[in-house]
Amino acid sequence: MATTMTQTETFVGKRVRRREDPRLITGTATYVEDIQMPGMHYAVIVRSPHAAARIRSIKTKQAEAAPGVVAVYTGKDTERVGPVPCGASLPGLRVPHHHVLATDRVYFVGHPVAVVVATDRYLARDAADLVEVDYDVLPAVADPEKALAKGAPAVHPEWPDNTAFTFHQEGGDVDKAFAEADLVVKQRMTSQRLIPMALETRGVVAEWRGADRQLNLYTSTQIPHLVRTLVAQMLSLEENRMRVVTPEVGGGFGSKLNVYAEEALMGFVAMKINKPVKWIESRRENFLCTIHGRGHVDYYEVAAKRDGTILGIKLKIIQDLGAYHQLLTPAIPTLSVLMMPGLYKTKNVRADIVGVFTNCMPTDAYRGAGRPEATHGIERMVDLLADELKMDPAEIRLKNFVGKDEFPYATATGLMYDSGDYAAPLKKALEIVGYQKLRQEQIEARKQGKWMGIGISTYGEICAIGPSPATPAGGWESATVKIEPSGKVTVMTGACPHGQGEETTFAQITADELGVGLDDVLVIRGDTAIVQYGIGTFGSRATAIGGTALYFALQDLKAKIKKFGAMLLESEDVTFSAGQVTCNRTGKSKSLQEIAGASYRALKLPPETEPGLLATRFWEPPNFTFPFGAHIVVSDIDGETGQIKIRRYVAVDDCGNMINPLLVDGQVHGGVAQGLGQALWEQVVYDDNGQLVTGELMDYAVPRAHMMPWIENDHTTTPSPVNPLGVKGVGEAGTIGCSPAVVNSVVDALSPLGVRHIDMPLTPEKIWKLIAGGN
Amino acid sequence: MKISGSYTLPLPPERTYQMMQDPEVLARAIPGCEGLEKTGEGEYRMKMQMALASLSGAFEGRVRITDQTPSLSFRLVVEGAGRIGFVKGEGLLKLRAADGGTEVSYEGEAQVGGTIAAVGQRLIDGTAKMMIKKFFEKFAEAAS
Repeated sequence: MATTMTQTETFVGKRVRRREDPRLITGTATYVEDIQMPGMHYAVIVRSPHAAARIRSIKTKQAEAAPGVVAVYTGKDTERVGPVPCGASLPGLRVPHHHVLATDRVYFVGHPVAVVVATDRYLARDAADLVEVDYDVLPAVADPEKALAKGAPAVHPEWPDNTAFTFHQEGGDVDKAFAEADLVVKQRMTSQRLIPMALETRGVVAEWRGADRQLNLYTSTQIPHLVRTLVAQMLSLEENRMRVVTPEVGGGFGSKLNVYAEEALMGFVAMKINKPVKWIESRRENFLCTIHGRGHVDYYEVAAKRDGTILGIKLKIIQDLGAYHQLLTPAIPTLSVLMMPGLYKTKNVRADIVGVFTNCMPTDAYRGAGRPEATHGIERMVDLLADELKMDPAEIRLKNFVGKDEFPYATATGLMYDSGDYAAPLKKALEIVGYQKLRQEQIEARKQGKWMGIGISTYGEICAIGPSPATPAGGWESATVKIEPSGKVTVMTGACPHGQGEETTFAQITADELGVGLDDVLVIRGDTAIVQYGIGTFGSRATAIGGTALYFALQDLKAKIKKFGAMLLESEDVTFSAGQVTCNRTGKSKSLQEIAGASYRALKLPPETEPGLLATRFWEPPNFTFPFGAHIVVSDIDGETGQIKIRRYVAVDDCGNMINPLLVDGQVHGGVAQGLGQALWEQVVYDDNGQLVTGELMDYAVPRAHMMPWIENDHTTTPSPVNPLGVKGVGEAGTIGCSPAVVNSVVDALSPLGVRHIDMPLTPEKIWKLIAGGN
Repeated sequence: MKISGSYTLPLPPERTYQMMQDPEVLARAIPGCEGLEKTGEGEYRMKMQMALASLSGAFEGRVRITDQTPSLSFRLVVEGAGRIGFVKGEGLLKLRAADGGTEVSYEGEAQVGGTIAAVGQRLIDGTAKMMIKKFFEKFAEAAS
């Protein structure tokens, strides 16, 4: 047996390589698709090809008779399965009943209508074609603004105005601010629908052990415990009779922060056929019926004084919700409202949201969830204002930032920014990029007819989501630390990280607190039968909340270790450090391994102390955390082709203390890739009839490695006072900071043509047309 | 998707019109057609194979001919569905004597859905044009 090394080397703050990578890059990790069971059956789902239709009839006889088919279920069979849940609540919210299989009507292309179960997945796929659905096709509406127009087809007949909710929030005195303004800049802008595009599509394996009355559900999710609670409810199954296991997850980005019809449906099927059943989402299904992101039309007005001081902001958001509410659908635009002042001091804001039903796949949380939209909006508006005032975009930002001595800072939208020094990353980024020199170069480039632009984005974001009053399921997180009799350490996190690297960072935190080696620590996640209840990983919360729960559990254990050490050393005057309890008088010490052994052997116990070394903590944060940063993009545009080349990408992020700067940079890289995707290439297109026309990777331009610019990462560090680790979160920062920096640089490049704004994505066609038209 | 164009056939308008109402001729001319069966006055049930990029599959549908003005014009309504999606279309065909033959001009709208819409959108235009061209070529062949 390997011994537990006690050591003085510390790990927090170091660029430790990810311990999870070897299995991922050697193809030996286990995903849902890799799970095999004796007697496995396979499900294929029949989906609507129409965006809106009445179902006249469904004929399943032929499919049922097909080779290998054991069952075909339709909406009639699943009527008693509870609705797909919406966890968000807003005053007056209209919530359509979301059956797991359509009953009498379909509402979007891809709507599940029937499920075919066979002994072989290809036989199931062939038989699915034999299900005959007779549709009475109805008019559909796919555009949120068209859906609001009079006479538009009603997505849900009971609500002919297609309005799911309206939401109003106001702070300060907006009318006075606008009355006193020297100027008001206005702009309509969109944040287009996007496909989250996890490399691993969704997938579910359900196994019903009838004799034990036990349902085991293997699903690719960010929130296994919430899936258990909610799916058990849908199936009217006792929660303790259900186990959710989340093996490796090949990307989520918010799209797996959800409870999907297929999860309950596979549970239903397994319980019916009494055999394990597997459903793996195809890539085409992933386009059609895994949640989409964004889907905003925003109308901004910003009032300012001639010296550049922002006085007030008005914002109207039209949010394309799709046909149903998935878990958090209607809550996402409210995050945009919270974030709308950005890093700026204005106390006067007014926001109105109209949540609109369309005959499309529901939108929901996608990397950044509400904050990229808000940041894009305010950062574009600040540039428009600077342009109007002939001010430098860096200068106008520095003028309006909340000052570093003003924290904690109460925003007009009801938030309390925890800590910050907003000028610091901007100044650093300006210096790294060589801003003044670039502006000189730009003057020369313009003389030569070249299109060169410099774009700045200074973002703030709401992370560590969140305190329980702000998070539908509870905003805390849990951790258990067990020190085994051998001294080895097992950490169980309720956060269920799935690619964020907590197997490494949580081991770093644990190793430092206990004075053990990284390899002595095992981090377990993603199994409700092993791990105590947890909330999950989303909203850049795993380290700031889950890590803090871990930190407090470790403090509990350290106190207990000290007690055992003191008992064994027969001294009250002891210190625990570097994995040793040492008597301060004699210098004698006991190792963690010896203490662990003694705590389980329990021949003798310290006063009022139980045997064993195990601690569990549920930590509720008192506030969000608010990371920030500055991204600067230098772009060159080919006037002949409209192609944008990103020459420089400088990202200076402040996410508080960094447990592992290597992983922080990785998160920023990934975030920027998805931000660039939105800024330059990606967009979901539905035609007027609600047909998804960007239905595969040939038509939906997700960034490839060769399309990425070199990213120059740097940081400033402003610890958060919200948690003892001083961490803030960085999972979404790259995405949030990216898109406005890119668009600002391209608008800057084309400003000699009088271009003020361009909606994303900035495709070469769009850019070429602007240049060609301008010439 | 809007569809329009014209094609000149080496036949007089009367003959062209007559042949365009003949299920046997149509079945031979429609690309991929595997059967056209008359189900009523101006109504046919049709089976056809269609291929679009990497997709191919059988379609079953109905063809209706309405608003007939012999030798001058008629309206064609097509509805078909298969495992790769559905097609709906409607168009007005006008016949006019020209250069000893008949110029057939057509104008209409087509809608596709399901997988063919999601996957083949960029190719639908081209495929539709190609199929129409093939139709007239085969039609001309059948006539001669």
